[in-house]
Amino acid sequence: MRTGRFLRRFARHRLAVVSALLLLVLAVAAAAAPWVEHWLGVEATGISLLDRFGPPSALHPLGTDELGRDVLVRLLYGGRVSLFVGVAAALASAVIGTGIGLLAGYFGGRLDDLLMRVTDGLIALPLLPLLIVLGAIDLTRLGIPPEVAGAEDASLLRIVVLVALFGWTTVARLVRGATLSARRRDYVRAAVAMGAGSRRIMLAHILPNVAAPAVVATTLTVGNVILLESVLSFLGLGIQPPLPSWGNMLTNAQELVGTAPLLAVWPGLLIFLTVIAVNLLGDGLQDALDPRVVGKR
Amino acid sequence: MTRFLASRLLQALVVLLLMSFVITVLMTLMPGDPVDMMLAGNPRATPADAARLKALYGLDKPLLERYGHWLQAALVGDFGFSRLYAQPVLTILLPRLGNTLLLLGAAMALTLAVALPLGVYAARRPYGWADNAINLFCFAGISVPAFWLALLLILLFAVELQWLPASGLGPVGGEGWWERLPYLVLPVASLTLASIGGYTRYVRAAMMGELRQDYVRTARAKGLGEGRVVWRHALRNATIPIVTIVALEFGALFSGALVTETMFAWPGMGKLIYDSIMGNDLNVALVALLFATLTTLAGNLLADAAYAGLDPRISFKGDGA
Amino acid sequence: MRTGLAAFTLAAALAAAPMGTPAFAAKDELVIGMTQFPSNWHPSMEAMMAKSYVLSMARRPFTAYDPDWRLTCLLCTELPALDKGTAEYETRADGKKGIKVTYTINPKATWGDGSPVTTEDVLFTWTVGKHPQSGYSNFDLFARDIVAIEAKDERTFTIHRDKAVCSYAEINDFEILPAHLERAVFEADPATYRNRSKYETDTTNPGLWFGPYRIAQVEPGSHVVLEPNPTWWGAKPAFKRVIVKSIENTAALEANLLAGQVDMVPGETGLPLDQVLAFEKRHGSRYNVFYKPGLFFEHVELNLDNPALADLRVRRALLHAIDREAISKQLYDGRQPVAHNEISPLDRVHAPGYPTYAFDPALAGRLLDEAGWSERRAGVRHNAKGERLALEIMTTAGNRSREVLQQVLQAQWRQAGVEVRIVNEPARVLFGDTLEKRRFKSMALFAWISAPENIPRTILHSSMIPTEANNWAGQNYTGYRNPEMDRVLEDLEHVCEPEANRALWAKLQTLYAQDLPNLPLFFRADPFILPPWLEGVVPTGHLDSSTLWIETWKAKE
Repeated sequence: MRTGRFLRRFARHRLAVVSALLLLVLAVAAAAAPWVEHWLGVEATGISLLDRFGPPSALHPLGTDELGRDVLVRLLYGGRVSLFVGVAAALASAVIGTGIGLLAGYFGGRLDDLLMRVTDGLIALPLLPLLIVLGAIDLTRLGIPPEVAGAEDASLLRIVVLVALFGWTTVARLVRGATLSARRRDYVRAAVAMGAGSRRIMLAHILPNVAAPAVVATTLTVGNVILLESVLSFLGLGIQPPLPSWGNMLTNAQELVGTAPLLAVWPGLLIFLTVIAVNLLGDGLQDALDPRVVGKR
Repeated sequence: MTRFLASRLLQALVVLLLMSFVITVLMTLMPGDPVDMMLAGNPRATPADAARLKALYGLDKPLLERYGHWLQAALVGDFGFSRLYAQPVLTILLPRLGNTLLLLGAAMALTLAVALPLGVYAARRPYGWADNAINLFCFAGISVPAFWLALLLILLFAVELQWLPASGLGPVGGEGWWERLPYLVLPVASLTLASIGGYTRYVRAAMMGELRQDYVRTARAKGLGEGRVVWRHALRNATIPIVTIVALEFGALFSGALVTETMFAWPGMGKLIYDSIMGNDLNVALVALLFATLTTLAGNLLADAAYAGLDPRISFKGDGA
Repeated sequence: MRTGLAAFTLAAALAAAPMGTPAFAAKDELVIGMTQFPSNWHPSMEAMMAKSYVLSMARRPFTAYDPDWRLTCLLCTELPALDKGTAEYETRADGKKGIKVTYTINPKATWGDGSPVTTEDVLFTWTVGKHPQSGYSNFDLFARDIVAIEAKDERTFTIHRDKAVCSYAEINDFEILPAHLERAVFEADPATYRNRSKYETDTTNPGLWFGPYRIAQVEPGSHVVLEPNPTWWGAKPAFKRVIVKSIENTAALEANLLAGQVDMVPGETGLPLDQVLAFEKRHGSRYNVFYKPGLFFEHVELNLDNPALADLRVRRALLHAIDREAISKQLYDGRQPVAHNEISPLDRVHAPGYPTYAFDPALAGRLLDEAGWSERRAGVRHNAKGERLALEIMTTAGNRSREVLQQVLQAQWRQAGVEVRIVNEPARVLFGDTLEKRRFKSMALFAWISAPENIPRTILHSSMIPTEANNWAGQNYTGYRNPEMDRVLEDLEHVCEPEANRALWAKLQTLYAQDLPNLPLFFRADPFILPPWLEGVVPTGHLDSSTLWIETWKAKE
């Protein structure tokens, strides 16, 4: 019943629906990268020095890049990486943020004060410079075994962890606010009176009610992380080759923008479309989940 | 109010102190100390040379001792010298701060100048085609990778059309401020396009909130002109959340815009912070980052104060936050 | 807010008017665009390509290698030589054989404020250089190589060197300082001299400079303006102003060039080769583009402590398995020659005749089989113990050209059954730590830069292997030990009879090629983009900048 109403409201937001569909298509296409690779009979890492900057052909629908690799397949694999980084980092920060927001809002008092001061402190930090410092620190000095620190996809995990460490503050604030108001609701009071445990109340009664703002904020985070990954790539601190990501493909293409402009256009366009779709989706979700706004329409 | 201010100031001080220590630790966790990097280019350096240079830069002492020395000197206003630039830290920092404030200040002003009317317009006819178009435009601005946008602007306006200079602070030897203006256009445009979306949406949300209020209905019922209702009454109240957001973004003004500064060869704070981190120039990185933190804190405080000052319903009495 | 709006409208109005300096009309100005900005200005504090490029316009070393890679006098009148009596062997107090070398400063050499350049300056420079607290990075030249300096008169001085080296005439790093300006600063407190030097606090002081141009204005991080120095003694410089702009992003630098805001991009610290190759295809007719291969030795450093790489057969197989000729042809349009040895074929001391390793996958396979890596499972070779032939290759993260090359190498080695993983680090991590402390597991891709006729002692001598015990000194990151090579390197310093010296150089190159302590790839080609109206720019291909001869640069009539 609630789901039905949500869907009806969401469906009214046409741009959001289109965005959701677009994201779905992108995700499915990225997931299907190995099959596309197989079907085209090309290899994402298949370097061919004789086929550099090839024009679109039956074999390579979007042409080839500076090493003769198939651009389409690389874009799909890059989409896997970029979308994974975006979603994983957003989910991780959502989990941390929801947890902290719930605790702070439910228990209040000293704990709330402490957690919110930490949140304020983190918000006060200049994010990008810190990411640069943290991106360059030597993981082995922190006791992380060199096998993990030096792994090929370490750059990927590093970004996810860093974003999660700093990105949870928005969600935490939103969830805390929502928890504060939910705690005053009658059914929560009733549950407390009936002697239900704090954990049960938080998980069963409050969480569902604070999910809406968290979901919206998380959606928006996905877009921001994808953009952030492209900035880090621009600085040479992003996803490392040979793993393709939209961010590093775009960065690599900028120098050759005169010779092979399409190499810059495709990843740039995909980042643009994905982030805009994510934002519109978040917008639609907000309208659909927030009864105030829709009620007044 | 005084108690509130005092407690906030104390908090800010603690944050700054913690921050300075954390940055020092993080910078030491980065591999390769400055002397290692200097000597990497000099094959004939001996262990004695390395030890000598480390002593010269005080790198042979334990971290805590070094931090203590720095703190002592910093408290009396001596921030030391930049290792990279061989200049007092403030001599390096202040000109770039000026450049950044010019760039980001102009961008902020322009952003507000565009975002306010757009947001108000959108709020007056929500969910209409114009609102949808504005919405899409806003999201488009937010969603473009910054260096991609900068490159496109340079290629179009500097290379193809040759209307505007591609990069730089101003013409060499140019004295007048007006001569610098053309150099500001592209970087300001690329920053504005990126931030306009966020502000427009804040304005729109704030205005929609106000337009639903009873006093607006009353004013309309009383037959006041729609323009007067919107621009005089509703907008004035909607200013509160907007000012808050502007104040919160205040700190970003001082940490610069790294990507835009790099693409347009505009030596500002973002570039300085990045270069000092990458060049292991602890003194500069430390002060620059603290400065950015300080202004963010000041911005937060300002936001709270603006909130209280503009909205009579809020007071600071008995509220710790 | 309102002022912001007004300003923008005005800017837009101004922008619509035809703008910019008419770069093509007034050719008394040259705008050079590069990707780095000198972070400081003292000639001896921290070596940095962008700094030496700019400083070479405003000052001169005593000696330098010219574009033909021959040592030449710039500030002195004549290179000292044994047969001219200006160099003479001597026995030092401790009984070792040393050499004393006499130079005469060009009698017309004058600092920009009119004071003559004298032996006073030479002695002062030596005092600063050997002071343990001055922070000189090439301390060893002043404190160890030079035992004493005697001033004969105002212009003539004799340097006593601690070893009778064959390259006794070369003092390229002896960057003279103006005693009349710097002495007071230095003597006040040597330990903080580095920060208080007039080069940093008063960079535009004419007395600091004596080249054809002097630094007239510095906008930190943005640009430097140089103007002719009236006291310059050589050919009159052609430009009223030389502006050096720093635009770090290479795509933006190219855009500046096309937009006419930058006249030329030098090879020393300009655009990467592949970007320029693409640029030339589109705009070559409007610019003068050329490539100078030089002494930048791009190679794969190997860690010989890795058991697989300790086997010479594996190292040879790795080299046979990659097609450097094809890479050079396809990626670099043949502009960047394949390196077969540490020593460039353009170097006077190059001695062909050493073994080379052509692309030969079959031979690579046989060598790997012989080395025990004979069993291929899922394409990857394994040895009898069941270990995979898996290696790692590192390079500087964000260096696109190297990343591209790295991926090609990875693909070609995969064909040979060698699994290679790419692990990149930011430059400061790779050079400041990983390589220096020999923490790279198997391979690292980077370049060595040297002067011509440079004896590669620091990278090939067994005493130059960095260890914890020697505080990580030396650049033999490979961990290469060969007593015969050690002996050759030592002898090269003092066996100077042409015949014997040539034989030693030949031996060095043969030993290197036989042992393959690292994998030679290419000698990097520096691309220069010049406007068609500019003439006289001669690239050097080594560490000494082309700007050491900037007085010959002029605009065509």
